[in-house]
Amino acid sequence: MSRDPLEGLLGHTGRDPGCEAAFEQFDRYCDAALRGEDVERGFPEFMNHVRNCAACREDAEGLLAALRGIMEE
Amino acid sequence: MGLKEGDRDSTDWLRGLNAEGPTREAAVTRLRALLLRVARSEAARRSASLPERGREEVDDLCHQAASDAAMAILRKLPEFRGDSRFTTWACKFALFEISTRLRRHAWRHRQIDTDEQVWERLADSTSPVLTRLEHTETLHSLERAIRDDLTDRQRLIFQAAVLDEVPIDVLAERLDSTRGAIYKILHDARASLRQAIARSEGKEERI
Repeated sequence: MSRDPLEGLLGHTGRDPGCEAAFEQFDRYCDAALRGEDVERGFPEFMNHVRNCAACREDAEGLLAALRGIMEE
Repeated sequence: MGLKEGDRDSTDWLRGLNAEGPTREAAVTRLRALLLRVARSEAARRSASLPERGREEVDDLCHQAASDAAMAILRKLPEFRGDSRFTTWACKFALFEISTRLRRHAWRHRQIDTDEQVWERLADSTSPVLTRLEHTETLHSLERAIRDDLTDRQRLIFQAAVLDEVPIDVLAERLDSTRGAIYKILHDARASLRQAIARSEGKEERI
């Protein structure tokens, strides 16, 4: 939930490509995040979507956690 | 295939999965093990959110998710362009398969009001999420806009997904729709509500 309750309810403005387009970017986003790149700058629409979509946000966190576990092997 | 230079691991995966005979079988076995690991990792990460009842079924869900993900990956293999590491690309399928299953599993015994008169029944009760709004005037504007500016379908989705915090893939299953379609309705509903609130406050809203 956003710190601003209204933003949490109504989402952030700005372009939001939706779940299906976000799915296509999930892997590139995760690789960039794991390399420590500036994902806010590199994936602005994807980041806007995961701020607005609780399911995709949870999935992004899960994929990053799983990949970190694999890398630590 | 256009793989980026230096991504030897991805090249090895593709060589194995595109081979024939025992080489391919070994690569598919390795892929299934990777996908099962991702599914189990996600199930463990979310274990606190899963109901006590039905936890023994979670490992079955992990196997189902890994199996469906493997089929999707093998079908989509020609589409892999090497924009990410192969393992990252493959693991996202397993993550989404288990994620959807876990959410639906967690909600399977919970009733969701999915008829389009739900708002009328809830009119006398203020959602806990709405009560987080401290500005009474904004709260009233929002409630008016939910009542007057949304279609029945938008009101239903907004009520369930935002106010009742039902996951959108659970809603998609109950409404015989897709996650993407449900999210689009929610996105449009939110845009309408932002516009309505901005109008009520005498501001222009950029969507």
